[in-house]
Formats: sequence, C-alpha cells, structure tokens
Amino acid sequence: MFDRPVIAIIDDDEAVREAFFDLLQVNGHACRTFDGAESFLACYGPGEFGCVITDMRMPGISGLELLEHIKAIDTSLPVIVVTSHGDPSVRLRALKCGAQAFLTKPVGQHALLGELKAALRGSGNPES
Amino acid sequence: MRDASSMDALKAAGASDQATELADFASESIIGFDLSGRIKYWNTASEKLYGWPSEAMIGLGGERIAVDPAIHNDQWPVILQEGRWEGRVSRHTMSGGRVTTYARRVVRCDTMGAPVDVVEYGQNLKVNPEVWSSGSDSLHLTAAFWELDVSDARDYLAKDAASRVSELKGECVLTSAQADAILSRIRVLKVNERTAYVFGAYADQSRMIGENLGAFCPPRSRMELADLMLTALRSPLGAKPVSKALASDGILRDPILTAWRSDDRAIPDRAFLVVNGAADDDRSFWYLRASEERYRKLLHFLPTALILVDASHMAAVFHRLRDAGVRDLNAYLEQNPQIVELAKSTVRVTEANRQAVALLGGATPADLIGPIDFLYAASPETAVRVMNARFSGERSFSEIIPIYTLDGSVKEVQYSVAFTAPLEPFEHDLVSMEDVTDRLKAERQLRKIEADFSHAARISTLGEMATSIAHEVNQPLSAIVTSGETTLHLLKSAQPNLEKVNQLTGRIVSSARHASEIVQRIREMALKRAPEHVSLHINEIVDEALLFVRGDVEARSIQLIKNLEEGLPCVVGDRIQLQQVIVNLLMNSIQAIAHSGTEQRKIRLGTGLSAGGRVIVSLHDSGPGISPKDIERIFDSFYTTKETGLGIGLGICQSIVTAHGGEIVALNHQEGGAHFSVSLPVAARDSDTGPY
Repeated sequence: MFDRPVIAIIDDDEAVREAFFDLLQVNGHACRTFDGAESFLACYGPGEFGCVITDMRMPGISGLELLEHIKAIDTSLPVIVVTSHGDPSVRLRALKCGAQAFLTKPVGQHALLGELKAALRGSGNPES
Repeated sequence: MRDASSMDALKAAGASDQATELADFASESIIGFDLSGRIKYWNTASEKLYGWPSEAMIGLGGERIAVDPAIHNDQWPVILQEGRWEGRVSRHTMSGGRVTTYARRVVRCDTMGAPVDVVEYGQNLKVNPEVWSSGSDSLHLTAAFWELDVSDARDYLAKDAASRVSELKGECVLTSAQADAILSRIRVLKVNERTAYVFGAYADQSRMIGENLGAFCPPRSRMELADLMLTALRSPLGAKPVSKALASDGILRDPILTAWRSDDRAIPDRAFLVVNGAADDDRSFWYLRASEERYRKLLHFLPTALILVDASHMAAVFHRLRDAGVRDLNAYLEQNPQIVELAKSTVRVTEANRQAVALLGGATPADLIGPIDFLYAASPETAVRVMNARFSGERSFSEIIPIYTLDGSVKEVQYSVAFTAPLEPFEHDLVSMEDVTDRLKAERQLRKIEADFSHAARISTLGEMATSIAHEVNQPLSAIVTSGETTLHLLKSAQPNLEKVNQLTGRIVSSARHASEIVQRIREMALKRAPEHVSLHINEIVDEALLFVRGDVEARSIQLIKNLEEGLPCVVGDRIQLQQVIVNLLMNSIQAIAHSGTEQRKIRLGTGLSAGGRVIVSLHDSGPGISPKDIERIFDSFYTTKETGLGIGLGICQSIVTAHGGEIVALNHQEGGAHFSVSLPVAARDSDTGPY
C-alpha cells in the first residue's frame, strides 16, 4: 500500500474548511472536508484517515468531545486541534487527551504543515 | 292712616315696618301683589294716583281695575317667569277716568331664592312723559336696555365720507367689515340686569361697561343691528325711534330691536338700544339664573383651562357650503384658504375661566375675549383640522399643539374642542386646554434615559460576549490568512496554477467582506443613536442576534434548535434594540444552562404568530428554570441571581419590548427550564416596507 494518507478537515465554517483544504492540497496532501464531527464519524473507518484536523467550537459535538471519542476508539489516529481562542485550560485539556497539537487561528501554514508532517510520521510508526 | 291689614300683608311678605313706612312716603305708586296677583299693599301715592283708598284695594285681584283685564292676566305669568317686567299699565280711577302709568314690576325672593311677592313701582306718564317716549306697545315685554356712546361711530361715518357714504347709500349695502367697524365703535355706557343676563356671556353689568357693542352681538344678528344703529345715528335729533323685528335667535323669541338717539342737545352722541323678547327657553328665569350661576362658577373654578367659543357664524357658513354641495371640506379649503382666515377672525372666544387666563398668560379674561386666531398662530394647520372635524359632524376634536401665550412663551397644549351639535340652542363650543409642556419634556427625557440605559447595557453585553465575538471575527480572518498563504505558495512555482490562484483570491475577498460585515454589526450594537421605527422581519433579527452568541452556544456545547416560521408579518421597531432583546434572552439561557451543569443542554428558539395576530419570539432552555421567589422580580432592573452581572439584561428586555407596544412573559416550561415569550404588534399594512 503506497496510498497517501487522507487528511480529514472538520470545521463548521465553510471558508475556513475550504482554505485548509486548498493549503493541504497544493502541498501535496490528499484531503476530505467535513462540516461537523457527526458527518466525519459517519465516514470513519479504521485506517481510513491519516490525520484529523478539527475546529474546537462547532454546533453539536465539539472538537474536544471528538478528540476524546477518537482517542477511545483509535489511539493511533493523530488529531490536530485548531481553535480561534487559545484558552490555556482548554489547551491543557486537549493535550492531556492526546492531541497531536493545539493551534490558534489564524494558523500559519508552516505551523500547520509542520505539525501535520510530524503527525503523519508518528502515525506511520506507532509504538516505535 | 295705615290700617292693620295692609301692614300685616306686607310684613307677611317679608317687609319690615320701617320699609313699609318708607314706601308710604314715596312719591311713586307702590303696589304689592301676592304671587296670584292679589293686591296686598297699596301706598299713599297709589291712593293719590288712582283715587282708590288702600282699604278698598287690599285683597282685590289686580285685573279688577285694569282697563283691559285680559292684558293684565296675560302679563302675570310672564312676570313670574322673567322676574321683572316694565311697561305701560292703564287702570280705571275711582272717579271713572283712566290713568296710564309706566310701571316696573319686580318679583321679590326670600333668602332661598323662592319668589315671595311682586312689587310694582308706577309713575304717571302724564307727569313724567320722558320716562318712556316710545309709543310702541310692543315694549310691554321685559327689555334689555343699553345706553351707548356713539361719538366714535359718528366720527367714522362722517369722515371718509366720499368712499363710505356712497357705499352706504340705499338699503342693506353694509359690508360685513363696515358692520363690524360701526359696532366696534359704539361704546357701552350703561346696561340693565336683563342685558347682562341675555347678552353678557356671563359677564356682569360692570364688566360690560366700556366694551364695544359688537363684542356682545351674536354674529347672526350683526348685520341687522349695524343697519339699525346706522339708521338711528343718521336720523336727526328728536326723531322717532326705529325698530326692527328679528328672527328668533335661540336667546330671545322673536326679538324686537329699537334704537334712538338722545334728544338732549347737550349729549348728541348718546343713543339707546332696547331689545325686547321673552327668553327662548321653557325654563323659568329663576331656574335659568340659578343654573347659569352654578355653571358660571363651575366653569370659572374648574381646575382645567376652559374657554367658550362662539362659532355660530362658521356654523352658518358650513351650512351654506353643505347646501352648495361641498362634501370634501379639506379640498374646498385648499382652494379657498380665505375661509380659514374668515373662521379665525369670526370665531370668537366669549368667555375664559381663571385657569385658561393663567395658562395663556393673560391678566383677566378680557385679554382672551376676541377672535380665536391667536390660539392657532403657532399651529395654523390645527384650525383646518378643527374645521374639518366640525364639518364632518364629529362631536369633539383633540390634539397636542404649540400655543404662543400672551406673555411670549410657547406651551405644548392638549387642545380639545367639544362641538355644539347642530340646532342646539346655545351655540358655544367648549375648548379645554391642558398644559403638557412639562409632561412632554419629561417623556423626552425619559426616552433619552432609556436609550442611554439600553446603550450602556449593550456595551456591557458586548463585553460579556467578547469571546464569542472574537470567534466570529477570527473565522473569516483565519480563512483569509490560510488562503493568502496558499496563494503565495502557488505563485512561487515556475508555472503557477492561475486558475487556482484566481479561486483563492476570490475566497479571500469574500471572507474579508464577511469579516467587515461582522465588524459593522458589532459597531451598530456599540453605537449610541436614537431608536428608529422601521418595518422589520423578526426572523432576520433573530439570525443577526445569533451572530453575537453563536460562539458561546458552541463553546458550551449547547444545542440550539431554531424553528423560525416563514412568511410572518413585519413588526415596527428598532433593529438593534430588538436584537438586543434576543441576545439578552439567549445570554440569560446560556448562563442558566452553564451554571446548572445539566445533562441536557438545549435552547429552543422559535418565531410564530399568536392567536391574537401578534408576532411571537419564544425561547425555551433546558436550564433549571426560574425559582418562584424570582419570577415576580425577574424583569426588575438590577435584580440578579448571578454572582457576576449587573442584573439589567432582562429589565432592558422588558423596557424595550414595552416601548415597542409588546409584552414579555417569563414562565417555567412544563417540561422544565425557563420559557420566555415576547409578543410584538404587527406593522400596519401601509407601513409594511420591509426589505423583502
């Protein structure tokens, strides 16, 4: 299997979602966008995605709840949390839950691409 | 010489011994009658005049010695009704001849005002022929008497002779202006009580003296009176009196006017006017006088500013217009603005009470008596509206108008007119005025304070929502940064994908616009400005309000269930204030849910139409609900159950909703949680100019 890992982008804001999609795509990543945690979970299958980039504040299931859920079912799937406000307590909680990274909007491309690269490298070699 | 029975009779009638004695020494004939017309007292002068001794007369009916008993019997009820009578009386003398006297009869009353007896004072016309020089028998009725100074009127007629006399030649060629000019130049020197009663418009005799004759003349009789006075003034000294019969005018029945110049060469500018006629009213003089006295007192001492307005002239004009087929007075007045001016100058204030004098800055009621135009000087359109209301048969009219007072200030006045119904005998409109200057000022101040308060509350709320707002602004900015960086990345390659660059740049522009719109909304919310009244769609308001709280709703993992009914009618109000109401209610629910830590985290937000046709916004949260001790005070300002917060949110909601003519209700929902319901009146159809 030499397929590129698919990156899941979850954000209820279409403009943000599409911007991330374009950024990753021009940098050679395969991506899929979701407007919420619910639609992502509906498509989720083991090994389906290489990394999840999710917004924190969303109607319905929030980013933090999604993170907890993913960590419960698939510890190897890295999750990068993106939020528009960097509340330290939320940040701490996200990292404790096993988030790969906690980024504050607006997110610089180097930060996002760097974390994504690290996440994909890590997920390729679990428990190493 | 006085016998016991006549003395007793007079005593019984309430006279003192001393007074009876005085009457005996009088040179005038004095005769006392009981109310049925029987003679009870006959003084010495009467004995001399008629020859009949007192003893022969006491107990006899007055008609027994009358030359024409029928006349005597006809006159008697008139005396009792009018209270006063003057005229010629012809009686048989003991020697078989006749004596004609000029007699004044007065009904005397006890302290309670009940008639007791009738006293007649008589003078022999042969001895004193000047007492009544007129030969007219019609003067038997009670007359209203005027003594007049006509020097100014004579000057007026003498000067400008070239233009005026030619105009006045012949019959009935007086113009209305000339009639007014003549009447206004005739000064009242003396009037009798009857005159004050009939024409004084509640002024007493002394108040009439010095005024001009025109001030007391009913408009419908103006031309006739001026014509009569003109004839009298132009007649030579010593000429016979001139008389004129008028139609019943609602005051007197078939009045007869008689005028003549004094034949005394020493006072050539003196004239006399006598108006005869019985009061055109079924009530007796006494009843009428008592009720008018009460009415006058009531009018004068009522704590409301009242004026009486004589609009009978315009009533007649309106009658003619209607007969001429005019139906739309407003249109007619637009084409004939002189009618409005005519009304302002012919409709007159005839009486004003103390409050009216005070309100309008006068010193005495006389300051206000005259044409009504000064009341409409600051609001000329009101005169037109009053005329329209009268013309269309309305019974009253009321609006708030500015009035220039006599002392030079401007007052805001609630101006109400009660119109006389057509054909009512007393054609005076009653105008009440209430000074609302201070009230309006206080209301304006209150509105300003309310606006300031709701603005302060908005600023405070914006502070509370800072995180949520930051999130809203950050989202498009984030998209812009990411898309911009992607674009730069693309442009670095040797062969840039320009199509993609184009697409990304488009997204940047649209996100930047979105960010700008959000900033604009926040700015509007923070801005201080006067509330507007425009047609609004409630669903738009709800969506705009959500912008401010969406972040909070999401951050607290609250499920917001929106159920907005389509096609609702518009409401009228201020966009920002109504947004503020919904934001405050949402914030209240969000905080209630957050503090309670309940499992269920839901807010149901809906719009709809009530059974009564009002637009409803309802909000039901899954919080702990409202405790019974709070539910009464929940809309009070500064009442709060939270540790932080001023407690002004819900208070502001109520004052805004109330100012919009709506209602806000807080209840506990049967399924738990608080339930707020805002109902707003829908916009009238013609102001339905919403954005859709």
